[in-house]
Amino acid sequence: MNSESDLILKVDNLQTQFHLSRRVVKAVNGVSFQMKRGRTLGVVGESGCGKSVTAHSIVQLLPKMGRIVDGSITYYSSNGAVELSKLKRNGSEMRAIRGKEIGMIFQDPMASLNPVFTIGHQIAENITQHEKISRAAAMERAVEMLTMLGIPQASTRIKDYPHQFSGGMKQRAMIALAMVCNPKLLIADEPTTALDVTIQAQILELMKEMQHKYGTSIILITHNMGIVADMADDIAVMYMGRIVEFGTVRQVLGSPRHPYTRALLQSVPVLGIAKGERLKTIRGSTPDPSDMPEGCEFAPRCDFATKQCKTVPADTDLGGGHRVRCWNCMGGLTT
Amino acid sequence: MLKYFTFRFLSIIPMLFVVTIIIFIGLQLTPGDPLTYLIPPELLASANFDLASYKKAMGLDAPLYVQFFRWFSGMLQGKLGYSLVDGTSIATMLGHRLPATLELAAAALIISSVLGIVLGLISSVRQNSAADYGNTVIGIIGISIPEFFLGIIAIQIFSIKLGWLPVGGRLDYGESGFLSLLKHVAMPALVLGFSLTAALMRYTRGTMLDVLGKDYVKTARSKGLPEWKVIVKHAFRNALMPVILLLCFRLPMLIGGTVIIESVFGWPGMGGMLLNAVSAKDYPVVMIATMLTAFMVLLASFLVDLLTALLDPRVRFD
Repeated sequence: MNSESDLILKVDNLQTQFHLSRRVVKAVNGVSFQMKRGRTLGVVGESGCGKSVTAHSIVQLLPKMGRIVDGSITYYSSNGAVELSKLKRNGSEMRAIRGKEIGMIFQDPMASLNPVFTIGHQIAENITQHEKISRAAAMERAVEMLTMLGIPQASTRIKDYPHQFSGGMKQRAMIALAMVCNPKLLIADEPTTALDVTIQAQILELMKEMQHKYGTSIILITHNMGIVADMADDIAVMYMGRIVEFGTVRQVLGSPRHPYTRALLQSVPVLGIAKGERLKTIRGSTPDPSDMPEGCEFAPRCDFATKQCKTVPADTDLGGGHRVRCWNCMGGLTT
Repeated sequence: MLKYFTFRFLSIIPMLFVVTIIIFIGLQLTPGDPLTYLIPPELLASANFDLASYKKAMGLDAPLYVQFFRWFSGMLQGKLGYSLVDGTSIATMLGHRLPATLELAAAALIISSVLGIVLGLISSVRQNSAADYGNTVIGIIGISIPEFFLGIIAIQIFSIKLGWLPVGGRLDYGESGFLSLLKHVAMPALVLGFSLTAALMRYTRGTMLDVLGKDYVKTARSKGLPEWKVIVKHAFRNALMPVILLLCFRLPMLIGGTVIIESVFGWPGMGGMLLNAVSAKDYPVVMIATMLTAFMVLLASFLVDLLTALLDPRVRFD
């Protein structure tokens, strides 16, 4: 049932490190997952857990000191499998995939559009980069795209500069920019974090619509559990550069098996919480990535840690694709 | 926007008026007057010397504000006046000297902006490389060494030891032509523009590094654009604004620097003329020369506004 043709992306034992002047930070430390076509994978975790670095590793948009040191990232394009981690960072093969096959949306729409070019120019530039098309025709496509995303009078607004757009409109423009070449995979790195709550819902709704229309696969990076529950088909929970729990939404949110996932879910405020009741927090703080604890990296903060947690936990397959990186996941976790 | 800039340009005139008043008052506050320079002290001390008639003849007896308005109205009619010292027409003096100064300043400006920006770009793209460190060293030298000293060293090395370039002057005697001019202007222009080159280089590097870390550069890369396009079109276009502003603000310093460089290299420009005029209390010449400098400063700040509006779509004057 897991036939290769269904897959769009396979990440295997990805390790990405940052070489700072004095130390090496293992930002992503052996991440593996598979993605099927047309599905949405939600990647959740605290700040600094490596979710963004994982996404940036896929398209090789890491900062200069960031490096993929091991593992493979296989992208299944219509012309066969491509090993992305082996491509040159800014080589023509990688660039042919960026924007055309894999689109990206970033966290801060205010900062991710270039202030000195018009919205239309920036969207059209993605088309002219990948297709032999006249500038006028590219502009027309950009107008269509913006109209589809609900920007009124798109044909005139296209001549506007980013500062003339509101935050929500800028993020729509970013979606238009990322989707205009009809990519097979869209990586959305916290696309709604910088937006108002009402705008957040609109943007997510639009992303769903686009996915329906084009059958795009989406990797949605967020720290918002509500968004994941709403948007994702599968969930990867990350902690300290590793996926600690992976499964479908039903599996992970319905019966979370990793103590970290549980703790995350318990720390989400819900409507109707008793007055005066304190929200659960995860005790301690994330360890320094250049000085990781021995064994399970969550053990020092875990309420269920045992002696066994001093040794590195193995991935346990719970069936149906649900896997958990914890010694105690088979039971015995009661709060 | 046209309306704004017309208004902005015309506002240079009243500002210039205020500047001339300040220069005029400043000149009056300095001790001595042209007569002490013109007339031998023995003659001044002699009993039957009629100072008043001299003053009257030169118009120095009138109240200060009358002197000022006499001069100012004359200037508005295009009468720049005459040197008090030797009676030459200031217009003729300018005709000879202004082109030389502008030539030197323009050469320095072109050399330093091209060199400074290109080196700064290289430094930012190849951050912490050997080229970057080399540029940093040059930059620190350029910012810290005074230009007159640099000029003397340059003459010592390139003219006296190596004999590659002439010691000074604008053209060899009896010679003309572009090549001779180039040979003469090269060293003073490089020396004059050296600190500006260094400043531009450091500034370009800094703003480029800042811009290269921006999200929109990542967006540009995420479209699959080639790296040169990311750097030149998306990053440099944004780094250019502050760099051009710095360039415009440094323009008056460049003009001011010519005063010193011209005397080091014996360049027959406004600098030498101004130096002589100040020591001789030659009011009309000093007034015109400083006013020209003030005009250039005001023009530079006008250019800053104009270029900001042209380069940055966020700035619009309506």
